[in-house]
Amino acid sequence: MEENDKIRQAEEEWKKDKERWAERRDEFVSDAGIEVKDLYTPLDTEGIDYLEDIGFPGQPPFVRGVYPTMYRGRLWTIRMFSGHGTPEETNQRWKMLYEEGETGFSAAVDSLTFSGVDPDQEVEGAAHEVGKEGVPLFSIRGMKALAEDLPLDKMSVALVVEPMTSAAITSMYFNVLKERGLRKEQFSGTTQNDILTMTIGYIPWGSLRPADLLKLACDLIEYCTAMGEAPRWNPINFTTYNYREGGIDAVQEIAMGLANAVAHIDELLRRGWKIDDFVHRLAFHLSAHRDFFEEIAKYRAARKLWYRLMKERYQPENPDAYRFRFHVQTAGSSLTAQQPMVNIIRTAYQALEAVLGGTQSLHTNSYDEAICLPSEESVRLAVRTQELIQEETGVASVVDPLAGSYYVESLTRELEERIWEYFMRIEEMGGVVEALNTGWLFNEMSKAFNKRRRDQESGRESIIGVNCYVMEGEDPTPPFRTNPRAAEIEKKRLADLRAERDNAKVSVLLDQLRSVCEKRENVLPVVRELTAAGASLGEITGVYREIWGIWQLPFVA
Amino acid sequence: MDRKIRVLLFKPGLDGHWRGIMTVSKALSEAGMETIFFGFKNVKGVVEAAIQEDVDVIGFSVHSGAHLEWSREIVTELEQQGARDDFLLLIGGVFPEQDHAELREIGIDGVFGPATATQDIVDFIMERLRQREAV
Repeated sequence: MEENDKIRQAEEEWKKDKERWAERRDEFVSDAGIEVKDLYTPLDTEGIDYLEDIGFPGQPPFVRGVYPTMYRGRLWTIRMFSGHGTPEETNQRWKMLYEEGETGFSAAVDSLTFSGVDPDQEVEGAAHEVGKEGVPLFSIRGMKALAEDLPLDKMSVALVVEPMTSAAITSMYFNVLKERGLRKEQFSGTTQNDILTMTIGYIPWGSLRPADLLKLACDLIEYCTAMGEAPRWNPINFTTYNYREGGIDAVQEIAMGLANAVAHIDELLRRGWKIDDFVHRLAFHLSAHRDFFEEIAKYRAARKLWYRLMKERYQPENPDAYRFRFHVQTAGSSLTAQQPMVNIIRTAYQALEAVLGGTQSLHTNSYDEAICLPSEESVRLAVRTQELIQEETGVASVVDPLAGSYYVESLTRELEERIWEYFMRIEEMGGVVEALNTGWLFNEMSKAFNKRRRDQESGRESIIGVNCYVMEGEDPTPPFRTNPRAAEIEKKRLADLRAERDNAKVSVLLDQLRSVCEKRENVLPVVRELTAAGASLGEITGVYREIWGIWQLPFVA
Repeated sequence: MDRKIRVLLFKPGLDGHWRGIMTVSKALSEAGMETIFFGFKNVKGVVEAAIQEDVDVIGFSVHSGAHLEWSREIVTELEQQGARDDFLLLIGGVFPEQDHAELREIGIDGVFGPATATQDIVDFIMERLRQREAV
C-alpha cells in the first residue's frame, strides 16, 4: 500500500509536468467505448490478486490460457474457412491449402445449403446462388466428393452450418467417415450450430423459430456428446464472430455468446442430462477486430467468465468443462474493397491478437474478400500470415506474454465487469430466446451497426483507403469467379441420386421424421438414416418447416 | 421535390446478408425519404408492389456473387410489366468493380459497391430524381 501511495504521489507530479504537452485528441476511447487513459501504472491493477484473479495457464481462472504449455506444446490449428463452386472444386482448394500448411479444414457452404434448400426446389432464384458463396452440399454424394482423398483421420473438419441444417450435414459427414472405416471415437471436428447467427447475424431464407432452432442445436449436442455417438466431436461452437460482424462491440460479443451458451446448457439440463454429460464439448468462435489490446483482453476476460459461470452455476466435475476453448476469425467487416492489399496488414495484426489472446485455432481472411471469394493467391498469403507468426516472430514461445501489463490487466478486469453486466441484462429479460422473440437482440445489433456507420462516415473511426489516405484511380483487383455451371452440375447430381436411391425407403423415413418432429424427439437418429439413404438436404429441412412453420422476424429496423 | 421520395428495398434470393441494406434503409430515412424494407421477396411481387405503392426507387442488395443474374431478372420483370422507366433502379452489395459497367448495361441506374458512403446514395437519388422532374 505504501508503495502505491508513493506511485500516486509521483503520478500527480508527472501530471503537472505533462500539462505543458498537448495531446492529439480530446478523448481516446476503445472500440467498446471504454475510456483509454494516457498511461497505466500499478495503480490500475490495484486489487487484482495474481493467484486468485489471474493464476497460471491451464489452471483456474484460466485467464492465461486453457492449457499449461499452450503453443510451446502445440501450435494453434490453421483452419481456413473455404468453399466454392462444386464439392469437387472445393476439394481441390482444400488439397491446395493442405499442401500450403493448413492444419484443419473448414467448410463454407453456399446460401442454399445454409438455408436448407435444394437447387431444384421451387424457391425463386435458388439456382443463381449455387456454389457462389460456398460449397453446395445437398446430399451424401456431394459430401463424399468434398471429402475425397483428404486425410480426415488426421485433420479435423469444421462444418459451418447452423441448426436448421446441422443434423443433416453433420450426419452426412459422419456417414462418410463411417464408410471410410473410422470409428465414432475418431470423428473429429466441429459443427457451428449456432442459433444467434441465424437470427441476428445472417437471416437465411425461411428460418425457423428461435425455440425450434434451439431444439435442433441441442439435438446435435445430445446425440454427439450425451448419447456418445461422436464423443470427440464439438457439436456446437457459439459463433460470436457472426454477431460481431453485425456491428456490436467486444463486450456485447462475449455477453451474447455466454447468454447463448446458457440457453443451450439449460435446455439440455431440462431434458434430464447432467452438466457433465455434455458441457466439456461446447466451444466458441470469436472475432479478432480492430482494437488490438481490447481484443486480447477480451479473450482473457472470456476465459475467466466462462470459468466463473461454470463454477457458480453448474459445477461440472470434469475439469475440461472449465476451459473456454475457441477458434478465431479475423474481422471480415474491417476489410475494404479500396486498396485491398492493406487488408493483408489488417489481418496480420488481428491474427496476432488472436495468438496473443490464446486461441486454439485461427482463420485469417484473404485480402480480396471485400470484393469476391478468395483467389488461390490471396488465400495462400492468408495462410502464410499465420505461418509467419509461428515461424518468424517468436511470439509462440511464451505463454500469455502480455500478462502483468498494467493496461492489459486493467482492461481485462474492465471488460470482465462490463461483459457480465450485459450478460445479466439478457438473463434478466428471460435469456436469448426471449430476447430474440421480442426483437431486443436484433435492435441492439441494428443500433450498433448504425452507430458504426455514422462513426465511419463522419471520420470518427478512421479507415485507410475509405475515409483517410484515399487513392484515386485505383486499378481494381482481378476478381475470382466461381464455376458458372455449378447449378447445372448440382441439379444433375441430385437428379441422378433421386433416380438411383430407394425412394420408398426415403419416403418411409421422411414420415418417421415428421412424427419425430411432431413429438419433438431428437431428430438425429432418423436424419442420419435419411442421409445415408440418399435423402436430400431440402427434403429434411422441408419437414421441419412443414411441421413447425417458419419464423416471422419481430425486428424493428 | 416537394413530396417525400419513396424507396422500396429488398433482398432477392436466399442470401441472408441483410445488414448492408438495412443500414441503407436507415440512412435513407434519416435523409428524409420514406423507405419500405421488404426483406426476401420474389421479383414479381416486388415489381407489383413498387407499381402499386408508386415508389420512386427500387433498391436491392446482393452479396452472394449472383448480382448479374439478379439484375437481369429484375430488369426483365420490369420490362414485362411495362414499368422499366417508372423507377430508379439501384444495386448494392459485394461485387467486383469490373462488373459495374455490365450492371449498367443491363439497366441498373445506380451501382454501389462495398464501402459506399450512404450519403453518396442519397445524393445520387436526389440528383437523378431532380433530373427526371426537370424533363
